[in-house]
Amino acid sequence: MTESARDPYIEWIARQGRRQVELSSDARARVMDAVRAAPLPVRPRRGLGWLTTPRPLTLSPLASSLLAAGLVGLGVIGGLGVTHRDGRTPAGQPAAVAADPQLPVHDSLQVHRFELAAPGAVGVSLVGDFNAWNASATPMTRSADGKAWTVTVQLPAGRHVYAFVVDGAQGGSQWVPDPAALRAPDDGFGTPNSVVLVGQRGTT
Amino acid sequence: MTDDAADVRRVLNGDVDAYAALVDRYYDQCARYAVRMLGNRDDAEDALQATFLRAYRALGRYQERDKFSAWLYRILVNQCRSLAARRSQRERVFVREEAVLLNATDEHQVVWPGEDEEFVQRVLSDLDPLLREAFVLKYIEEMSYEEMAALTGVGVSALKMRVKRAADRLRERWERNKHD
Repeated sequence: MTESARDPYIEWIARQGRRQVELSSDARARVMDAVRAAPLPVRPRRGLGWLTTPRPLTLSPLASSLLAAGLVGLGVIGGLGVTHRDGRTPAGQPAAVAADPQLPVHDSLQVHRFELAAPGAVGVSLVGDFNAWNASATPMTRSADGKAWTVTVQLPAGRHVYAFVVDGAQGGSQWVPDPAALRAPDDGFGTPNSVVLVGQRGTT
Repeated sequence: MTDDAADVRRVLNGDVDAYAALVDRYYDQCARYAVRMLGNRDDAEDALQATFLRAYRALGRYQERDKFSAWLYRILVNQCRSLAARRSQRERVFVREEAVLLNATDEHQVVWPGEDEEFVQRVLSDLDPLLREAFVLKYIEEMSYEEMAALTGVGVSALKMRVKRAADRLRERWERNKHD
């Protein structure tokens, strides 16, 4: 017996909800039209499969130390590429990220740290054109003092539109722009987004 | 080998039409979930198109040890989440419902075939998206909490809390309606 069976009203809603829905008669055909227009999916090559398959890794204490030192070094190098969300320099001067010649511009990806002050949230995630606006793709981590949420991601050069999805304590979620960043033009959906510039000279 | 796994292999071997079998097998169930979550058919069709196309492109990464339906559903759930958040879904539903009421004789505006279904869709749309997602997966798609957790990445206890809150909100609304 399902839980809903104990509540006639909830069971009635569930029963109605289980009824099949009718969409446009050509909707299914359009799916296959889009599929046929897409390139054939490819199997992952064996070598890549080996690289991407999770497996336990055993390290000696010395190897662990060397690996940790290497990762710290990478973090330091990556940190040099971190910019503020609004493309401002630490001194507060408005400038696009790559307009500062001191900042390294990598061939394709740069590291960016996003931050949002949301002490009352139970979860925050980053959504944007770089993760297909997928609210579960890039969860953010609560800071040690519990007041802010952060995440560091690698972004390709260019202009990126993004926002935060904030989960409240009451189970609700809210789509909010970055209060410290440039605002994207209204996309017509009623939810303002923010903009970050990566590795481009000039401004929006 | 399951039908799904066989079809996936045929697609990966270059037989695109084999994907139509997968689409046919899961389209109706996915359509129901998308409509219940997004509240209107236009958005549901967008979500389905994006889901099946994304799944097709990622088919090479599908692992046969996983159930194809669960893998596909995971993509669908994420697509619906993104669309619901991005399109300010509540406003769209409200506008659409207003249009139905004001212009009920226009066949292009009448989106629900029955009053009961229209009512259910409206009360579901009034729920917060996360509560609605948990309720639809539990009561309409009749999944176990373990299946829901695997699908959403949310813990079982949090999902139980969301389902309970959703049911509470629905009952509250029912009580209010009785006394109005």
